[in-house]
Amino acid sequence: MIDMIISILLGSLTAMVPIVLTSTGAVVSERAGVVNIGYEGILLMSALFGAMFAEMSGSPWIGLLGGAFVGMLLGMLHGAITVYMKGDHIIPGIGINILALGVVAFGITAIWGTAGQHQVPSNIRIQPIINTPYGGLSPMVLITFVIVFLTHWVLFRTPLGLRIRAVGENPEAADALGVNVERYRFLATVYGATLAGLGGAYLSVDWLGVVTKEISSGRGFIALANMVFSGWNPIRALIGGFIFGFFDNLSVWVRTNPAISQVVPWQFVATLPYIVTIIIVAGIIGKVRPPKWDGRPYKRE
Amino acid sequence: MEEVPIIEMKGIVKIYPDGTKALKGVDFSVKKGEIHGLLGENGAGKTTLMKILSGMLPPTEGKIYVNGREVRFKSPADALANGIGMVHQHFTLVEVFDALHNIILGMEGHGLFSKIDVDKARAKLQKLMDELNFQVPLEVPVETLPVGVQQRIEILKVLYRNVDVLILDEPTAVLTPIEVKELFDVLRKLKEQGKTIIFISHKLREVMEITDRVTVLRKGEVIGTVNTNEATPQLLARMMVGRDVVLRIQKPPKEPGEPILRVENLWVKGDRGEDAVKGLSFEVRAGEIFGIAGVEGNGQTELIEAITGLRKIEKGRVILNGKDITGRPPKELYNLGVAHIPEDRTHMGLILDMTVAENSILGLHWNAKFTGALNSIKWNTVKAYAQELIEKFEIVAPGVDAPVKSLSGGNQQKLIVAREVSKNPELIVASQPTRGVDVASTEYIRNYLVKLRNENKAVLLVSADLDEVLQLSDRMAIMYEGQFVGIVKPEEVTEEQIGLMMGGIKDES
Repeated sequence: MIDMIISILLGSLTAMVPIVLTSTGAVVSERAGVVNIGYEGILLMSALFGAMFAEMSGSPWIGLLGGAFVGMLLGMLHGAITVYMKGDHIIPGIGINILALGVVAFGITAIWGTAGQHQVPSNIRIQPIINTPYGGLSPMVLITFVIVFLTHWVLFRTPLGLRIRAVGENPEAADALGVNVERYRFLATVYGATLAGLGGAYLSVDWLGVVTKEISSGRGFIALANMVFSGWNPIRALIGGFIFGFFDNLSVWVRTNPAISQVVPWQFVATLPYIVTIIIVAGIIGKVRPPKWDGRPYKRE
Repeated sequence: MEEVPIIEMKGIVKIYPDGTKALKGVDFSVKKGEIHGLLGENGAGKTTLMKILSGMLPPTEGKIYVNGREVRFKSPADALANGIGMVHQHFTLVEVFDALHNIILGMEGHGLFSKIDVDKARAKLQKLMDELNFQVPLEVPVETLPVGVQQRIEILKVLYRNVDVLILDEPTAVLTPIEVKELFDVLRKLKEQGKTIIFISHKLREVMEITDRVTVLRKGEVIGTVNTNEATPQLLARMMVGRDVVLRIQKPPKEPGEPILRVENLWVKGDRGEDAVKGLSFEVRAGEIFGIAGVEGNGQTELIEAITGLRKIEKGRVILNGKDITGRPPKELYNLGVAHIPEDRTHMGLILDMTVAENSILGLHWNAKFTGALNSIKWNTVKAYAQELIEKFEIVAPGVDAPVKSLSGGNQQKLIVAREVSKNPELIVASQPTRGVDVASTEYIRNYLVKLRNENKAVLLVSADLDEVLQLSDRMAIMYEGQFVGIVKPEEVTEEQIGLMMGGIKDES
């Protein structure tokens, strides 16, 4: 029994990383008023390129940084369109998501010559810092905690955070006081996409050790739902991500437990994390208030 | 030796991108340490001039000097850096932040990543508030605070930046009488401290009470600057209203008939929950144009919305042809014969991206005349109808399939008038019917309203354009702070009397 609990806990922490990183990034971006629905595509592409950078350099850490870099570039693209060119916030995200489908399917074949799937060699995967008979704990889990708490602190305690929140709530007020609305919106957008990029590389060079066409499996969208559930708050996004990770693992455990899987079809159990997340989000949504200028371009009159 | 003015604006011209000439070469100067009133009607250019001074808008032409030194502001932050700060009529506060964070935003202290020193900011603000002898709660979200308090936070925000010149745009518009008194106390304190204040207003009494000098603007031009102690409300009113009549309207005398609309003790609330209309009673008779003049924001919008079923009526009754229509929905009012030309054509009157034909049946789309099987719309009938309107009302349009936004403002407005009067109403409620409309269309629309009156319809006209109300109305009311200062016949009053009434003063003489 205790081994099962430890195993599920470790697994939950492992599974929450990409969700929490992406949600935290999305919180910052939307606090500044920029909506990005392209995180799914960012996760996918940085999983691919993260693995590529790791194998080219022989270092999984370079892989993680490479993934974050890819996220940063995509964030700059999104920021340029939405913040500087005052474009729509949804369309570029759709574009990134669709682009990723093609880039990743083609990339796997082009880089490794295999179709649809590539196994990352185990010697260039991130090694756990703690090993137990029930599973390991990646250093990325700790890094995720650090990032969440640091982001939270910056967002709510520093001038930078105050300005980010101000440009997302009332850019006119910020502008009148000499706060450069575009600069802070752009920075926040890039930061959000960079964290998603880190999360994407984590999928391939750490947790799953594989690149597939559907490796992100909806986590980019789950992260957005989780962001709403958190009320645009990084620490609550951490908790939400953990809940998702927990049910994700529970479903794996149930699936591999013959006593239960004979009674409940595993396909049903596999949908659990998504259903639970939807229920939680549906229960919360409407009660929290998004940043007032979320998703609206700002132009001085 | 004349002292160098703290602010000097020379030859300021402002032409908006749509071609509106808001300021036509304005010279304006303010002495250090005075409270300077800027008086004028709506559209006189007061706010535009001050937005230029505070860096919100760039001037098309002209120069600005601060303490004799020429400056060029690219943003409000530039103006703040030069010691000029403005408190806008519509506050720019981050609603979910508390007062403290609203005030320190943009100058929080050293380092973007260092912790904000809340205690230090609080101490500085406390000192400011003690000096001015007022308090605001610093640590609750500003959205939960009354407007009077929010305004003080705006003032503190500007003072926190050590400005010398404080611009207040219609600061009393949202305040209760007690709050106005308190604001004036604060302004006098600031003057004692050596600050210079520019006070934008259209309220004569307040300008007379608080200012040292007054500059009057009319239609983008300076009429003059006078010392307040040498001025009278009568003089200021005459300067503000002037006497230039652009258009001539043929209006034969007519004996009005039975009352069509009767409003009894009407109370309506504004968007902020304040009482916007305070116990109004009046009637509009058949064959009569009843005009409501007054500076905008004195409850006219709320009154019209209440009568046309768009806003909740708190108390009182609206009666149409003897039938109580209080609180009835717009569609029912339409069936009873009420047509509405709304004050904002682009937001309320038309759907700009839809075609002329589609717009011509807005609100009539369910009419049996236009619908066929399964309530589908018979577009050929609609297009023929739209074409009929275009011809009858001389609307210049590329065609019935053209989007309405491709029409000029005047033709857009004519389309609304065409649609509304074609409903064959008993009562036409026309709100700012010629705002932003070219001269030819203005004349057409005004003459059409007179024609409706001659056909024994009742017309309720609300306009910020005093000439319009004076020319068209058979009887007119002047509205001020939710009430009528008086109901008069246009030919029996002087412009001076009307100017005074618009400023809230009833001249009994």
